[in-house]
Amino acid sequence: MRAVRASTNPLLSDRDVAFLLYEVHDAPGLLELPAFAEHSRETFDLFLTSVRRLAREALFPTYRAMDAEPPSFREGRIRVHPAMRSLYPQLVELGLLNATRAREVGGQQLPLTVFSLASAYLMAANLSAYGWLGLTSGAAHLLEAFGSPELKDTFMARMYRGEWTGTMALTEPQAGSSLADVQTRASAAADGTWRLSGTKIFISGGDNDFAENVVHMTLARIEGAPAGTRGLSLFAVPRLRPEEGRLVDNDVQVAGAIHKIGYRGLPSLVLSYGERGDCRGWLVGPPHRGLSLMFQMMNEARIMVGLNGVATASVAYHEALAYAQERTQGRTLTERDATAPQVPLLQHADVRRMLLRQKAIVEGGLSLLVATSRLADLATHGDTPADRERAALLLELLTPVAKTFPAEKGFEANALAVQVHGGYGYSSEYPVEAWLRDQKLNSIHEGTSGIQSLDLLGRKVMAGSGAALRVFQEEVGRTLARARRAGVEAAWCDALQRSVDEVVALTHELGMKLMEGDADGVLRHSAHYLELFSLVAVGWQWLAQACAARDALARGDADTGFYEGKLCAAQYWVHTELSRVPALVALCRSSEDSYAKMKPEWF
Amino acid sequence: MKILVTAKRVEDAESKIRVNPQGTGIVPEGLKYKINPFDEIAVEEGLRLVAKHGGEVVVVSIGGKEVQEQLRHALAMGAHKAVWVNHAGALDQLAIAALLAKVVEAEKPDLAILGKQSIDDDQNQVGQYLAEFLGWGQATFASKVESLESDAEKGKHPGVMLSADGKAVVVVREVDNGLATVECQMPAVVTTDLRLNLPRYASLPGIMKAKSKPIQELTPAGLGVDVTPKVVIQKMVPPPARKAGIKVPDVATLVDKLKNEAKVV
Ligand SMILES: Cc1cc2nc3c(=O)[nH]c(=O)nc-3n(C[C@H](O)[C@H](O)[C@H](O)COP(=O)(O)OP(=O)(O)OC[C@H]3O[C@@H](n4cnc5c(N)ncnc54)[C@H](O)[C@@H]3O)c2cc1C
Repeated sequence: MRAVRASTNPLLSDRDVAFLLYEVHDAPGLLELPAFAEHSRETFDLFLTSVRRLAREALFPTYRAMDAEPPSFREGRIRVHPAMRSLYPQLVELGLLNATRAREVGGQQLPLTVFSLASAYLMAANLSAYGWLGLTSGAAHLLEAFGSPELKDTFMARMYRGEWTGTMALTEPQAGSSLADVQTRASAAADGTWRLSGTKIFISGGDNDFAENVVHMTLARIEGAPAGTRGLSLFAVPRLRPEEGRLVDNDVQVAGAIHKIGYRGLPSLVLSYGERGDCRGWLVGPPHRGLSLMFQMMNEARIMVGLNGVATASVAYHEALAYAQERTQGRTLTERDATAPQVPLLQHADVRRMLLRQKAIVEGGLSLLVATSRLADLATHGDTPADRERAALLLELLTPVAKTFPAEKGFEANALAVQVHGGYGYSSEYPVEAWLRDQKLNSIHEGTSGIQSLDLLGRKVMAGSGAALRVFQEEVGRTLARARRAGVEAAWCDALQRSVDEVVALTHELGMKLMEGDADGVLRHSAHYLELFSLVAVGWQWLAQACAARDALARGDADTGFYEGKLCAAQYWVHTELSRVPALVALCRSSEDSYAKMKPEWF
Repeated sequence: MKILVTAKRVEDAESKIRVNPQGTGIVPEGLKYKINPFDEIAVEEGLRLVAKHGGEVVVVSIGGKEVQEQLRHALAMGAHKAVWVNHAGALDQLAIAALLAKVVEAEKPDLAILGKQSIDDDQNQVGQYLAEFLGWGQATFASKVESLESDAEKGKHPGVMLSADGKAVVVVREVDNGLATVECQMPAVVTTDLRLNLPRYASLPGIMKAKSKPIQELTPAGLGVDVTPKVVIQKMVPPPARKAGIKVPDVATLVDKLKNEAKVV
């Protein structure tokens, strides 16, 4: 009934969100943990209602404009789209910056499980607008966890209040994937602060004209520190520094803005530190521990990127679905009468294939992100040290998967959304092309897919002699036991069981090869391994959903269409994706060397 | 000042609403509910007035225990306390107004702000009855010059404000041919139109605070109101499905059809 209703695109399905929270991932179970005792289903639902309305009524209507008019760079400063000036305070007012944080820092201790689903609406509506919030929140959390009381007072508190924004400043021209090569320098100053100098690139949200100040959480190398990642330290470097009750220029200049193909509402900048020799940084945590501290923010950001991937695929899926219901074209295969009316696109089997594939990727991916977020909740707030440790192990294992699957398969889903629109999808009159551009970023930032695959295969599955993988296997086993009891098709359960067993056996073999020193042979197929692992992890999520759907149908829930749709998507995943597992396993096992033996001049 | 506002529970217009086969009501399964949007505007207006003049907002809802959801929502928006009149059966507009009149007598607000109608039954009667029962002045359809509450619009004078001496309420009303401004001695009843404001979203801190705000439970019997409906719904039927249109080859055919088939020209 609101005057402003830009579109009927729901961004995410509310029904699916409720299903994931209350029927699949047991959000009420979290309420038994002391940390979340003040919450209830009512607080979750009210929060979701507010956030989805803000997403639909305020963020989504400004998305196209922010994509069309990226921030401008003039006289050393960034001017953002004017809409951000009212959107940012609205996001802050809702309490989003510190929703999951503790009372002591003004937060409300909302489970990440709930927050992730809520934020997915905001990302689907307008990922750039959300980006400002996500970065600020992550940067403030770094200070909360590792900053001195003074730093918390001056920087963190203002960031959580929405007065200042934050960034993560890691990348340099020569140090993208390889953070070991970061060269920004820090030298000790007499006043206890540090003088920084160097250049960062691609720093998202590095400047704006809607907040008073920006704090760059910066990785730099203290003079004389060892080479490599062990010599990196973390600094808080504000654009303006407080001095005698005033804010003065801190000698971090915007040296340029990158022209981007997507994510265009959030500027990614070249920052130049200390051109006048007057850039002060405040050390966060102990020296030379910067990268491991930064991993807190990076891991949070990876989950956020995963959600972003799902959200960007989701909004496009809903757009394509609505289009396929409205647009008529051609007739069914059996219709012989050329004068019969044309049928909606949705009547064609191949269009349904494209839509079911999108649904399977979107809803399977979202479920994986909810599972991952729940692990993050348990890793911090679980009942016993053993619970927390177990959750942390599985969280670490799943993080590269939860980051990469939505980026890679989400891009495919976004391409399908364009495809469903036919020629109109390829025109900028329709919004689906924009989401395709936006989505591409997710396989690049926060560690490229290649880097994530090396992290998964080279580190996560191998660590502690495969301890995390064992936990994964147990969890899948539990889901399977429940699914069988619920009457989920035995063939689907068997297929998932076989796939998991194959992954485990393969991983043991590859572990042996690594110990024998064949890192090249093993790791050259890291991308295939990550893909394989993702198919199984999402298969796990689809069986968990099938199980909940079977339960609901058995208890006679009237919403049969919703649950039948879930079962079809689960069936699709088992038959078209899990069925690819053996081929990928064979590829990884063989250390097939086509590209390894290519000499540069043969390309 | 003290302001009483209403928060009726209504079906979300986005859910699929179907009449049941017996024609006695709608199918409740799968429906989502929310605060009547006109009432949400009333809550917002109440909150803005007390933000400016001090005081408290009391929110009232009538219905089964599920209406506590809407009360909690209004409390999360910032209302100070809630009154729940517990009654699960059918109610007509007279009974609702009679119940509200009793609550008003107990709470003694300076203003009662209600939605001008609710989006389920679209009756547009309760505010008027309430004023009559109380013997108060009324200003219905409170509105604003422009609807969208742009930043510029927010800065302009509100659609509902107090007179200089604080004894009357000045209301911009939406009428057929534009806007009329009326002044009404308080206590008074105001009903809200859609253009009056853009209600805030409940913030997470607001949602958490609402948990400890009181909801007082009352009953029609306790209030001494006989709620037996005088108006009874006999039958509900969905509007007839629209027939598919046809395409005519040219203007001549169109004119012919309009003249001879539809007989409208
Ligand atoms: C829009 C945008 C926003 C960004 N925001 C931020 C930000 O806020 N803060 C920040 O610090 N950074 C940010 N970045 C930087 C981003 O994290 C890097 O671009 C990314 O880490 C990749 O680094 P690179 O661009 O130097 O590519 P490169 O590292 O040169 O990689 C190029 C290709 O080579 C592959 N490759 C590189 N090394 C290896 C290896 N060892 N093994 C196998 N393959 C390898 C990569 O997978 C990739 O496919 C952003 C980037 C973009 C595009």
